Amino acid sequence: MRRLSAAAVFLAALLAAQCLHAAPLEAIRDILRRHLLNPPDEAALAALSDEGLPGKLRAIDPYARIFPAKEYRAPLGSGNSWVGIGAGLAMRGKTPVLHVYRGGGAEQAGVPDRSRLLDIDGRPVAGMDAEAIASLLKGEEGSAVRLGVAPPGGQKTSFTVRRQTFSPLDVELIPPGTQRVVRIREFAGGLTRPALRATLEFVSGPAPVDGKARVVIDLRDAPGGDLYEAFDLAGLFLPAGTHLGTIRGRDGYAMEIHAPQGDKFSMPLTLLVGPETASAAEIFAGILRRYDRALLVGQTTYGKCASQTDARLSDGSVLRYTNREVLFPGGDTCTGTGLTPDLAVGDDELDMLPRLVKRAQSLYQ
Amino acid sequence: MRARILIPLVLAASLAAGCAGTHDPRTGGFFGGVAGLGGGGYKDRVAEREARLAELRATQSQLDAEKGQLEAQKSEAQARVQQDQAKVDAMQADIAALEKKTKALASKQGADQKRVAELQKRLAGLKKGMNKQESSLDALEGSGLGDADTDLRRKQLETQRDALRKEYDLLMKMQMELAQ
Repeated sequence: MRRLSAAAVFLAALLAAQCLHAAPLEAIRDILRRHLLNPPDEAALAALSDEGLPGKLRAIDPYARIFPAKEYRAPLGSGNSWVGIGAGLAMRGKTPVLHVYRGGGAEQAGVPDRSRLLDIDGRPVAGMDAEAIASLLKGEEGSAVRLGVAPPGGQKTSFTVRRQTFSPLDVELIPPGTQRVVRIREFAGGLTRPALRATLEFVSGPAPVDGKARVVIDLRDAPGGDLYEAFDLAGLFLPAGTHLGTIRGRDGYAMEIHAPQGDKFSMPLTLLVGPETASAAEIFAGILRRYDRALLVGQTTYGKCASQTDARLSDGSVLRYTNREVLFPGGDTCTGTGLTPDLAVGDDELDMLPRLVKRAQSLYQ
Repeated sequence: MRARILIPLVLAASLAAGCAGTHDPRTGGFFGGVAGLGGGGYKDRVAEREARLAELRATQSQLDAEKGQLEAQKSEAQARVQQDQAKVDAMQADIAALEKKTKALASKQGADQKRVAELQKRLAGLKKGMNKQESSLDALEGSGLGDADTDLRRKQLETQRDALRKEYDLLMKMQMELAQ
Protein backbone atom coordinates (compact mmCIF):
# COMPACT_ATOMS: atom_id res chain seq x y z
CA MET A 1 0.00 0.00 0.00
CA ARG A 2 1.37 3.32 -0.99
CA ARG A 3 1.21 5.72 1.87
CA LEU A 4 1.61 9.41 1.51
CA SER A 5 1.47 12.20 3.98
CA ALA A 6 -1.19 14.73 3.14
CA ALA A 7 1.24 17.53 3.70
CA ALA A 8 3.83 15.82 1.53
CA VAL A 9 1.41 15.84 -1.38
CA PHE A 10 0.97 19.58 -1.17
CA LEU A 11 4.67 20.14 -0.79
CA ALA A 12 6.12 17.71 -3.29
CA ALA A 13 6.77 20.40 -5.84
CA LEU A 14 8.34 22.68 -3.29
CA LEU A 15 10.70 20.04 -1.95
CA ALA A 16 11.62 18.86 -5.40
CA ALA A 17 12.59 22.31 -6.54
CA GLN A 18 15.18 22.64 -3.81
CA CYS A 19 17.04 19.39 -4.40
CA LEU A 20 18.00 19.86 -8.00
CA HIS A 21 21.44 19.03 -9.33
CA ALA A 22 22.88 19.62 -12.81
CA ALA A 23 19.79 19.48 -15.01
CA PRO A 24 20.16 18.77 -18.77
CA LEU A 25 19.74 22.39 -19.75
CA GLU A 26 19.96 21.97 -23.48
CA ALA A 27 17.11 19.46 -23.48
CA ILE A 28 15.02 21.81 -21.36
CA ARG A 29 15.66 24.68 -23.76
CA ASP A 30 14.73 22.50 -26.71
CA ILE A 31 11.45 21.33 -25.17
CA LEU A 32 10.41 24.82 -24.18
CA ARG A 33 11.44 26.25 -27.52
CA ARG A 34 9.37 23.69 -29.44
CA HIS A 35 6.41 22.97 -27.17
CA LEU A 36 5.77 25.78 -24.67
CA LEU A 37 2.30 27.26 -25.29
CA ASN A 38 3.65 30.75 -25.86
CA PRO A 39 7.03 30.69 -27.66
CA PRO A 40 9.68 31.74 -25.15
CA ASP A 41 12.17 34.52 -25.46
CA GLU A 42 15.53 33.16 -26.71
CA ALA A 43 17.47 35.35 -24.31
CA ALA A 44 15.53 33.89 -21.37
CA LEU A 45 16.25 30.37 -22.62
CA ALA A 46 19.94 31.16 -22.98
CA ALA A 47 19.98 32.47 -19.41
CA LEU A 48 18.85 29.13 -17.95
CA SER A 49 21.51 27.68 -15.66
CA ASP A 50 21.68 25.24 -12.74
CA GLU A 51 21.92 28.11 -10.34
CA GLY A 52 18.44 29.37 -9.53
CA LEU A 53 16.88 27.19 -12.22
CA PRO A 54 13.38 26.97 -10.66
CA GLY A 55 13.10 30.75 -10.54
CA LYS A 56 14.43 31.20 -14.07
CA LEU A 57 11.97 28.60 -15.36
CA ARG A 58 9.09 30.35 -13.64
CA ALA A 59 10.12 33.60 -15.32
CA ILE A 60 9.56 31.87 -18.66
CA ASP A 61 6.43 29.93 -17.63
CA PRO A 62 4.80 30.64 -14.26
CA TYR A 63 3.77 26.99 -13.92
CA ALA A 64 7.05 25.39 -15.04
CA ARG A 65 8.73 23.07 -12.52
CA ILE A 66 11.58 20.63 -12.55
CA PHE A 67 11.54 17.47 -10.44
CA PRO A 68 14.62 15.35 -9.68
CA ALA A 69 14.12 11.72 -10.76
CA LYS A 70 13.75 10.28 -7.28
CA GLU A 71 11.22 12.82 -6.14
CA TYR A 72 8.94 12.90 -9.14
CA ARG A 73 5.44 11.60 -8.69
CA ALA A 74 3.12 11.46 -11.64
CA PRO A 75 0.07 13.71 -11.25
CA LEU A 76 -2.10 12.16 -8.63
CA GLY A 77 -4.62 9.52 -9.49
CA SER A 78 -6.54 10.66 -6.44
CA GLY A 79 -5.34 10.07 -2.92
CA ASN A 80 -4.33 6.62 -1.78
CA SER A 81 -4.02 5.83 1.91
CA TRP A 82 -2.13 8.34 3.98
CA VAL A 83 -0.61 8.33 7.42
CA GLY A 84 -1.06 11.67 9.05
CA ILE A 85 -3.40 14.05 10.79
CA GLY A 86 -6.02 13.75 8.03
CA ALA A 87 -5.79 17.31 6.84
CA GLY A 88 -4.15 19.15 4.01
CA LEU A 89 -1.99 22.16 4.66
CA ALA A 90 -2.68 25.17 2.45
CA MET A 91 -0.76 28.42 2.70
CA ARG A 92 -3.01 31.42 2.30
CA GLY A 93 -0.36 34.06 1.84
CA LYS A 94 1.73 33.43 4.93
CA THR A 95 -1.16 31.98 6.89
CA PRO A 96 -1.30 28.18 7.19
CA VAL A 97 -4.82 26.79 6.93
CA LEU A 98 -5.96 23.21 7.55
CA HIS A 99 -8.30 21.54 5.08
CA VAL A 100 -9.87 18.80 7.17
CA TYR A 101 -10.76 15.51 5.44
CA ARG A 102 -13.73 13.29 6.31
CA GLY A 103 -12.68 10.34 8.44
CA GLY A 104 -9.19 11.58 9.27
CA GLY A 105 -7.68 12.15 12.71
CA ALA A 106 -8.25 15.92 12.60
CA GLU A 107 -11.96 15.48 11.94
CA GLN A 108 -12.25 12.85 14.65
CA ALA A 109 -10.57 15.20 17.11
CA GLY A 110 -13.08 17.92 16.17
CA VAL A 111 -10.78 20.33 14.32
CA PRO A 112 -13.07 22.61 12.28
CA ASP A 113 -12.40 22.68 8.55
CA ARG A 114 -10.39 25.65 7.25
CA SER A 115 -9.04 26.54 10.68
CA ARG A 116 -5.95 28.73 10.82
CA LEU A 117 -3.05 26.81 12.32
CA LEU A 118 -1.41 28.76 15.14
CA ASP A 119 0.89 26.35 16.94
CA ILE A 120 2.02 22.74 16.93
CA ASP A 121 2.83 21.11 20.28
CA GLY A 122 3.06 24.61 21.73
CA ARG A 123 5.43 25.90 19.07
CA PRO A 124 4.05 28.91 17.18
CA VAL A 125 4.09 28.49 13.41
CA ALA A 126 3.95 32.19 12.52
CA GLY A 127 6.74 32.99 10.10
CA MET A 128 7.45 29.34 9.24
CA ASP A 129 7.28 28.18 5.65
CA ALA A 130 5.02 25.32 4.51
CA GLU A 131 7.85 22.81 4.48
CA ALA A 132 8.81 23.51 8.10
CA ILE A 133 5.19 23.33 9.24
CA ALA A 134 4.64 20.07 7.37
CA SER A 135 7.66 18.48 9.02
CA LEU A 136 6.17 19.28 12.43
CA LEU A 137 2.79 17.88 11.45
CA LYS A 138 4.22 14.62 10.14
CA GLY A 139 5.01 11.74 12.46
CA GLU A 140 4.72 8.05 13.18
CA GLU A 141 1.38 6.31 12.93
CA GLY A 142 -0.29 6.27 16.33
CA SER A 143 1.55 9.31 17.66
CA ALA A 144 -0.36 12.39 18.73
CA VAL A 145 0.16 16.08 18.09
CA ARG A 146 -1.40 19.06 19.87
CA LEU A 147 -2.66 21.70 17.47
CA GLY A 148 -3.58 25.24 18.42
CA VAL A 149 -6.00 26.56 15.81
CA ALA A 150 -8.36 29.44 15.21
CA PRO A 151 -11.57 28.10 13.64
CA PRO A 152 -13.26 30.36 11.06
CA GLY A 153 -14.86 33.21 12.99
CA GLY A 154 -13.82 31.68 16.33
CA GLN A 155 -11.29 32.03 19.11
CA LYS A 156 -8.13 30.00 19.56
CA THR A 157 -8.67 26.48 20.75
CA SER A 158 -6.51 23.36 21.00
CA PHE A 159 -7.02 19.79 19.84
CA THR A 160 -5.01 16.62 20.30
CA VAL A 161 -4.91 14.82 16.97
CA ARG A 162 -3.75 11.24 16.48
CA ARG A 163 -1.79 10.49 13.33
CA GLN A 164 -3.36 7.53 11.63
CA THR A 165 -3.87 5.77 8.34
CA PHE A 166 -6.84 6.97 6.39
CA SER A 167 -7.99 6.94 2.84
CA PRO A 168 -9.84 10.08 1.76
CA LEU A 169 -13.05 9.82 -0.20
CA ASP A 170 -12.66 10.87 -3.82
CA VAL A 171 -15.82 12.92 -3.50
CA GLU A 172 -16.98 13.81 0.00
CA LEU A 173 -20.50 14.34 1.26
CA ILE A 174 -20.69 17.10 3.86
CA PRO A 175 -23.88 17.66 5.83
CA PRO A 176 -24.04 21.25 7.12
CA GLY A 177 -27.57 21.76 8.43
CA THR A 178 -30.29 20.54 6.13
CA GLN A 179 -28.45 20.98 2.84
CA ARG A 180 -26.03 18.29 1.81
CA VAL A 181 -22.90 19.44 0.06
CA VAL A 182 -20.79 17.40 -2.32
CA ARG A 183 -17.12 18.30 -2.09
CA ILE A 184 -14.61 17.76 -4.87
CA ARG A 185 -10.99 18.41 -3.96
CA GLU A 186 -9.31 16.94 -7.00
CA PHE A 187 -10.06 16.06 -10.61
CA ALA A 188 -8.37 12.67 -10.85
CA GLY A 189 -8.25 11.17 -14.33
CA GLY A 190 -10.86 8.42 -14.77
CA LEU A 191 -11.86 8.44 -11.10
CA THR A 192 -13.60 11.66 -10.09
CA ARG A 193 -16.41 11.42 -12.65
CA PRO A 194 -17.60 7.97 -11.52
CA ALA A 195 -17.14 9.01 -7.89
CA LEU A 196 -19.32 12.09 -8.44
CA ARG A 197 -21.93 10.01 -10.26
CA ALA A 198 -21.99 7.52 -7.40
CA THR A 199 -22.27 10.33 -4.87
CA LEU A 200 -25.15 12.05 -6.66
CA GLU A 201 -26.99 8.74 -6.88
CA PHE A 202 -26.22 8.11 -3.22
CA VAL A 203 -27.68 11.52 -2.30
CA SER A 204 -30.85 10.92 -4.26
CA GLY A 205 -31.29 7.37 -2.91
CA PRO A 206 -32.86 4.59 -4.94
CA ALA A 207 -35.25 7.03 -6.65
CA PRO A 208 -33.98 8.51 -9.90
CA VAL A 209 -32.64 12.05 -9.69
CA ASP A 210 -35.76 14.09 -10.36
CA GLY A 211 -34.08 17.25 -11.50
CA LYS A 212 -35.68 19.38 -8.78
CA ALA A 213 -33.52 19.21 -5.68
CA ARG A 214 -30.58 21.59 -5.96
CA VAL A 215 -27.17 20.15 -5.27
CA VAL A 216 -24.32 22.22 -3.87
CA ILE A 217 -20.85 21.27 -5.09
CA ASP A 218 -17.98 22.65 -3.06
CA LEU A 219 -14.95 23.51 -5.19
CA ARG A 220 -13.28 25.86 -2.71
CA ASP A 221 -10.41 23.43 -2.05
CA ALA A 222 -10.08 22.15 -5.61
CA PRO A 223 -6.76 23.31 -7.07
CA GLY A 224 -7.20 21.32 -10.28
CA GLY A 225 -6.18 18.00 -11.74
CA ASP A 226 -6.88 16.24 -14.98
CA LEU A 227 -8.19 18.53 -17.74
CA TYR A 228 -10.21 15.83 -19.51
CA GLU A 229 -11.81 14.82 -16.22
CA ALA A 230 -13.05 18.41 -15.89
CA PHE A 231 -14.70 18.17 -19.31
CA ASP A 232 -16.12 14.74 -18.47
CA LEU A 233 -17.60 16.04 -15.24
CA ALA A 234 -19.19 19.02 -16.98
CA GLY A 235 -20.57 16.59 -19.58
CA LEU A 236 -22.57 14.84 -16.86
CA PHE A 237 -24.80 17.91 -16.60
CA LEU A 238 -25.11 18.94 -20.25
CA PRO A 239 -26.81 17.31 -23.24
CA ALA A 240 -24.70 15.07 -25.44
CA GLY A 241 -22.97 17.03 -28.18
CA THR A 242 -22.87 20.34 -26.27
CA HIS A 243 -19.69 22.25 -27.09
CA LEU A 244 -17.74 22.31 -23.82
CA GLY A 245 -14.69 24.21 -24.92
CA THR A 246 -11.59 24.22 -27.08
CA ILE A 247 -8.10 23.09 -26.14
CA ARG A 248 -5.62 25.40 -27.81
CA GLY A 249 -1.97 24.51 -28.38
CA ARG A 250 1.05 25.78 -30.28
CA ASP A 251 1.06 26.46 -34.00
CA GLY A 252 -2.67 26.61 -34.52
CA TYR A 253 -3.48 23.36 -32.71
CA ALA A 254 -7.12 23.39 -31.58
CA MET A 255 -9.34 20.56 -30.40
CA GLU A 256 -13.02 21.08 -29.72
CA ILE A 257 -14.49 19.06 -26.87
CA HIS A 258 -18.16 18.03 -26.79
CA ALA A 259 -20.28 16.45 -24.08
CA PRO A 260 -20.35 12.67 -24.47
CA GLN A 261 -23.38 10.37 -24.47
CA GLY A 262 -24.39 8.67 -21.25
CA ASP A 263 -26.36 9.23 -18.07
CA LYS A 264 -27.14 12.86 -17.35
CA PHE A 265 -28.11 14.75 -14.23
CA SER A 266 -30.61 17.57 -14.56
CA MET A 267 -30.81 19.02 -11.05
CA PRO A 268 -29.87 22.69 -10.61
CA LEU A 269 -26.39 23.25 -9.22
CA THR A 270 -24.71 25.73 -6.95
CA LEU A 271 -20.92 25.75 -7.05
CA LEU A 272 -18.96 27.13 -4.11
CA VAL A 273 -15.76 28.71 -5.38
CA GLY A 274 -12.88 30.75 -4.00
CA PRO A 275 -9.32 31.89 -4.66
CA GLU A 276 -8.05 28.30 -4.29
CA THR A 277 -10.43 27.02 -6.98
CA ALA A 278 -8.10 26.64 -9.93
CA SER A 279 -7.38 25.03 -13.26
CA ALA A 280 -9.56 21.96 -13.93
CA ALA A 281 -12.02 23.11 -11.25
CA GLU A 282 -12.33 26.52 -12.91
CA ILE A 283 -12.88 24.91 -16.29
CA PHE A 284 -15.65 22.69 -14.87
CA ALA A 285 -17.30 25.69 -13.16
CA GLY A 286 -16.85 27.99 -16.14
CA ILE A 287 -18.49 25.58 -18.58
CA LEU A 288 -21.51 24.98 -16.35
CA ARG A 289 -22.01 28.66 -15.81
CA ARG A 290 -21.71 29.37 -19.50
CA TYR A 291 -24.75 27.18 -20.09
CA ASP A 292 -26.66 28.52 -17.04
CA ARG A 293 -26.41 25.11 -15.40
CA ALA A 294 -24.87 26.45 -12.21
CA LEU A 295 -24.76 29.48 -9.95
CA LEU A 296 -21.36 30.40 -8.55
CA VAL A 297 -21.15 31.52 -4.94
CA GLY A 298 -18.01 32.59 -3.09
CA GLN A 299 -15.06 34.59 -4.31
CA THR A 300 -13.26 35.10 -7.62
CA THR A 301 -11.34 31.98 -8.62
CA TYR A 302 -7.60 31.67 -9.12
CA GLY A 303 -7.49 32.32 -12.87
CA LYS A 304 -5.65 29.48 -14.57
CA CYS A 305 -7.28 27.92 -17.60
CA ALA A 306 -4.02 26.43 -18.86
CA SER A 307 -2.74 22.88 -18.59
CA GLN A 308 0.70 21.45 -18.13
CA THR A 309 2.42 18.32 -19.30
CA ASP A 310 5.42 16.40 -17.96
CA ALA A 311 8.48 15.53 -20.04
CA ARG A 312 11.08 13.10 -18.73
CA LEU A 313 14.66 14.20 -19.33
CA SER A 314 17.73 12.07 -20.05
CA ASP A 315 18.88 12.05 -16.40
CA GLY A 316 15.45 10.87 -15.20
CA SER A 317 14.37 14.28 -13.96
CA VAL A 318 11.05 15.65 -15.17
CA LEU A 319 10.19 19.03 -16.64
CA ARG A 320 6.63 20.27 -16.21
CA TYR A 321 5.55 23.09 -18.50
CA THR A 322 2.44 24.72 -19.90
CA ASN A 323 1.44 23.39 -23.29
CA ARG A 324 -2.30 23.95 -23.61
CA GLU A 325 -4.89 26.59 -22.90
CA VAL A 326 -8.63 26.06 -22.59
CA LEU A 327 -11.07 28.41 -24.20
CA PHE A 328 -14.69 28.39 -23.11
CA PRO A 329 -17.44 28.24 -25.74
CA GLY A 330 -17.35 31.78 -27.05
CA GLY A 331 -13.57 31.89 -27.09
CA ASP A 332 -12.75 33.48 -23.73
CA THR A 333 -10.46 32.06 -21.06
CA CYS A 334 -10.25 32.40 -17.30
CA THR A 335 -6.48 32.81 -17.30
CA GLY A 336 -5.48 35.94 -15.48
CA THR A 337 -9.00 36.95 -14.54
CA GLY A 338 -10.61 33.95 -12.84
CA LEU A 339 -14.36 33.45 -12.64
CA THR A 340 -16.38 36.11 -10.85
CA PRO A 341 -19.11 34.56 -8.67
CA ASP A 342 -22.80 35.36 -9.10
CA LEU A 343 -22.91 35.99 -5.36
CA ALA A 344 -19.73 37.30 -3.75
CA VAL A 345 -19.08 36.77 -0.03
CA GLY A 346 -16.49 37.98 2.47
CA ASP A 347 -13.51 36.01 3.78
CA ASP A 348 -15.18 34.83 6.99
CA GLU A 349 -18.29 33.68 5.16
CA LEU A 350 -16.23 31.82 2.58
CA ASP A 351 -14.67 29.73 5.33
CA MET A 352 -17.89 28.93 7.19
CA LEU A 353 -19.71 26.34 5.14
CA PRO A 354 -23.12 26.43 6.87
CA ARG A 355 -23.30 30.23 6.52
CA LEU A 356 -22.08 30.07 2.96
CA VAL A 357 -24.71 27.50 2.05
CA LYS A 358 -27.38 29.63 3.71
CA ARG A 359 -26.29 32.66 1.68
CA ALA A 360 -26.30 30.54 -1.45
CA GLN A 361 -29.85 29.42 -0.68
CA SER A 362 -30.94 33.06 -0.40
CA LEU A 363 -29.96 33.49 -4.03
CA TYR A 364 -32.51 31.09 -5.41
CA GLN A 365 -35.23 30.80 -2.75
CA MET B 1 -44.02 3.00 76.64
CA ARG B 2 -46.55 1.64 74.20
CA ALA B 3 -47.79 5.13 73.47
CA ARG B 4 -44.28 6.29 72.67
CA ILE B 5 -43.80 3.45 70.26
CA LEU B 6 -47.23 3.90 68.73
CA ILE B 7 -46.57 7.38 67.40
CA PRO B 8 -43.58 6.38 65.28
CA LEU B 9 -45.49 3.33 64.04
CA VAL B 10 -48.45 5.47 62.99
CA LEU B 11 -46.08 7.88 61.38
CA ALA B 12 -44.35 5.00 59.65
CA ALA B 13 -47.63 3.57 58.45
CA SER B 14 -48.79 6.93 57.13
CA LEU B 15 -45.47 7.57 55.38
CA ALA B 16 -45.46 4.06 53.99
CA ALA B 17 -48.96 4.59 52.66
CA GLY B 18 -47.56 7.44 50.58
CA CYS B 19 -45.50 5.03 48.57
CA ALA B 20 -47.49 1.89 49.03
CA GLY B 21 -48.38 1.64 45.40
CA THR B 22 -44.85 1.16 44.14
CA HIS B 23 -43.37 -1.50 46.44
CA ASP B 24 -40.10 -0.56 44.86
CA PRO B 25 -37.24 -1.81 47.06
CA ARG B 26 -34.99 0.90 45.58
CA THR B 27 -37.22 3.68 46.94
CA GLY B 28 -38.61 1.99 50.04
CA GLY B 29 -35.73 1.88 52.50
CA PHE B 30 -36.76 1.20 56.07
CA PHE B 31 -40.32 2.46 55.69
CA GLY B 32 -40.85 0.60 52.53
CA GLY B 33 -39.55 -2.52 54.18
CA VAL B 34 -41.96 -2.17 57.06
CA ALA B 35 -44.83 -1.45 54.73
CA GLY B 36 -43.86 -4.35 52.51
CA LEU B 37 -43.75 -6.86 55.28
CA GLY B 38 -46.85 -5.43 56.95
CA GLY B 39 -48.92 -5.03 53.75
CA GLY B 40 -48.29 -8.36 51.96
CA GLY B 41 -45.77 -6.69 49.66
CA TYR B 42 -43.25 -9.53 49.90
CA LYS B 43 -45.11 -11.50 47.23
CA ASP B 44 -45.30 -8.37 45.13
CA ARG B 45 -41.54 -7.94 45.46
CA VAL B 46 -40.93 -11.49 44.36
CA ALA B 47 -43.28 -10.99 41.46
CA GLU B 48 -41.61 -7.71 40.65
CA ARG B 49 -38.18 -9.34 40.72
CA GLU B 50 -39.39 -12.12 38.49
CA ALA B 51 -40.85 -9.55 36.12
CA ARG B 52 -37.57 -7.67 36.10
CA LEU B 53 -35.69 -10.87 35.52
CA ALA B 54 -37.96 -11.63 32.59
CA GLU B 55 -37.36 -8.11 31.29
CA LEU B 56 -33.60 -8.57 31.62
CA ARG B 57 -33.79 -11.89 29.82
CA ALA B 58 -35.82 -10.25 27.04
CA THR B 59 -33.30 -7.41 26.81
CA GLN B 60 -30.46 -9.91 26.78
CA SER B 61 -31.98 -11.93 23.97
CA GLN B 62 -32.67 -8.68 22.08
CA LEU B 63 -29.01 -7.73 22.52
CA ASP B 64 -27.96 -11.20 21.41
CA ALA B 65 -30.14 -10.83 18.32
CA GLU B 66 -28.68 -7.39 17.56
CA LYS B 67 -25.18 -8.73 18.11
CA GLY B 68 -25.93 -11.60 15.75
CA GLN B 69 -27.32 -9.13 13.23
CA LEU B 70 -24.21 -6.93 13.51
CA GLU B 71 -21.96 -9.93 13.13
CA ALA B 72 -23.96 -11.05 10.11
CA GLN B 73 -23.67 -7.54 8.65
CA LYS B 74 -19.95 -7.54 9.38
CA SER B 75 -19.37 -10.89 7.74
CA GLU B 76 -21.60 -9.83 4.83
CA ALA B 77 -19.49 -6.67 4.48
CA GLN B 78 -16.30 -8.74 4.70
CA ALA B 79 -17.64 -11.11 2.07
CA ARG B 80 -18.45 -8.15 -0.18
CA VAL B 81 -14.95 -6.75 0.30
CA GLN B 82 -13.52 -10.18 -0.54
CA GLN B 83 -15.68 -10.35 -3.65
CA ASP B 84 -14.54 -6.86 -4.60
CA GLN B 85 -10.94 -7.83 -3.98
CA ALA B 86 -11.36 -10.89 -6.19
CA LYS B 87 -12.76 -8.67 -8.97
CA VAL B 88 -9.86 -6.23 -8.57
CA ASP B 89 -7.34 -9.12 -8.61
CA ALA B 90 -8.91 -10.49 -11.78
CA MET B 91 -8.75 -7.08 -13.43
CA GLN B 92 -5.15 -6.63 -12.29
CA ALA B 93 -4.30 -9.92 -13.97
CA ASP B 94 -6.10 -8.84 -17.18
CA ILE B 95 -4.25 -5.55 -17.16
CA ALA B 96 -0.90 -7.25 -16.59
CA ALA B 97 -1.59 -9.47 -19.63
CA LEU B 98 -2.57 -6.45 -21.70
CA GLU B 99 0.59 -4.66 -20.62
CA LYS B 100 2.70 -7.61 -21.70
CA LYS B 101 1.05 -7.67 -25.11
CA THR B 102 1.49 -3.91 -25.44
CA LYS B 103 5.21 -4.21 -24.65
CA ALA B 104 5.54 -6.82 -27.36
CA LEU B 105 3.64 -4.52 -29.70
CA ALA B 106 5.96 -1.62 -28.93
CA SER B 107 8.99 -3.65 -29.98
CA LYS B 108 7.29 -4.88 -33.15
CA GLN B 109 8.55 -3.32 -36.37
CA GLY B 110 6.06 -1.34 -38.38
CA ALA B 111 3.72 -0.75 -35.46
CA ASP B 112 2.06 2.63 -35.21
CA GLN B 113 4.35 3.90 -32.46
CA LYS B 114 2.31 7.01 -31.76
CA ARG B 115 -0.81 4.98 -31.04
CA VAL B 116 1.19 2.42 -29.08
CA ALA B 117 2.58 5.25 -26.96
CA GLU B 118 -0.98 6.51 -26.40
CA LEU B 119 -2.04 2.98 -25.43
CA GLN B 120 0.86 2.70 -22.98
CA LYS B 121 0.02 6.05 -21.44
CA ARG B 122 -3.61 5.11 -20.91
CA LEU B 123 -2.60 1.73 -19.63
CA ALA B 124 -0.42 3.43 -17.01
CA GLY B 125 -3.43 5.50 -15.96
CA LEU B 126 -5.56 2.39 -15.75
CA LYS B 127 -2.97 0.65 -13.57
CA LYS B 128 -2.89 3.63 -11.26
CA GLY B 129 -6.66 3.53 -10.98
CA MET B 130 -6.62 -0.17 -10.15
CA ASN B 131 -3.90 0.29 -7.52
CA LYS B 132 -6.09 2.95 -5.99
CA GLN B 133 -9.01 0.50 -5.95
CA GLU B 134 -6.89 -2.00 -4.10
CA SER B 135 -5.73 0.40 -1.41
CA SER B 136 -9.22 1.88 -1.04
CA LEU B 137 -10.65 -1.60 -0.49
CA ASP B 138 -8.00 -2.18 2.17
CA ALA B 139 -9.15 1.00 3.85
CA LEU B 140 -12.85 0.29 3.51
CA GLU B 141 -13.25 -1.46 6.81
CA GLY B 142 -11.95 0.04 10.01
CA SER B 143 -11.50 3.49 8.49
CA GLY B 144 -12.43 6.52 10.50
CA LEU B 145 -15.45 7.03 8.28
CA GLY B 146 -18.96 6.57 9.61
CA ASP B 147 -21.39 4.00 8.23
CA ALA B 148 -22.90 6.39 5.67
CA ASP B 149 -19.46 7.42 4.40
CA THR B 150 -18.36 3.79 4.22
CA ASP B 151 -21.44 3.01 2.13
CA LEU B 152 -20.66 6.02 -0.03
CA ARG B 153 -17.06 4.87 -0.50
CA ARG B 154 -18.26 1.40 -1.49
CA LYS B 155 -20.63 2.90 -4.06
CA GLN B 156 -17.89 5.17 -5.40
CA LEU B 157 -15.52 2.21 -5.71
CA GLU B 158 -18.10 0.12 -7.56
CA THR B 159 -18.85 2.93 -10.02
CA GLN B 160 -15.14 3.63 -10.49
CA ARG B 161 -14.47 -0.06 -11.10
CA ASP B 162 -17.16 -0.13 -13.78
CA ALA B 163 -15.54 2.90 -15.41
CA LEU B 164 -12.09 1.28 -15.21
CA ARG B 165 -13.50 -1.91 -16.74
CA LYS B 166 -14.86 0.14 -19.66
CA GLU B 167 -11.46 1.77 -20.09
CA TYR B 168 -9.83 -1.66 -20.03
CA ASP B 169 -12.25 -2.94 -22.70
CA LEU B 170 -11.47 0.09 -24.84
CA LEU B 171 -7.70 -0.37 -24.47
CA MET B 172 -8.03 -4.07 -25.21
CA LYS B 173 -9.87 -3.21 -28.42
CA MET B 174 -7.23 -0.61 -29.28
CA GLN B 175 -4.46 -3.14 -28.66
CA MET B 176 -6.14 -5.72 -30.89
CA GLU B 177 -6.56 -3.21 -33.69
CA LEU B 178 -2.91 -2.25 -33.42
CA ALA B 179 -1.81 -5.88 -33.38
CA GLN B 180 -3.58 -6.60 -36.68
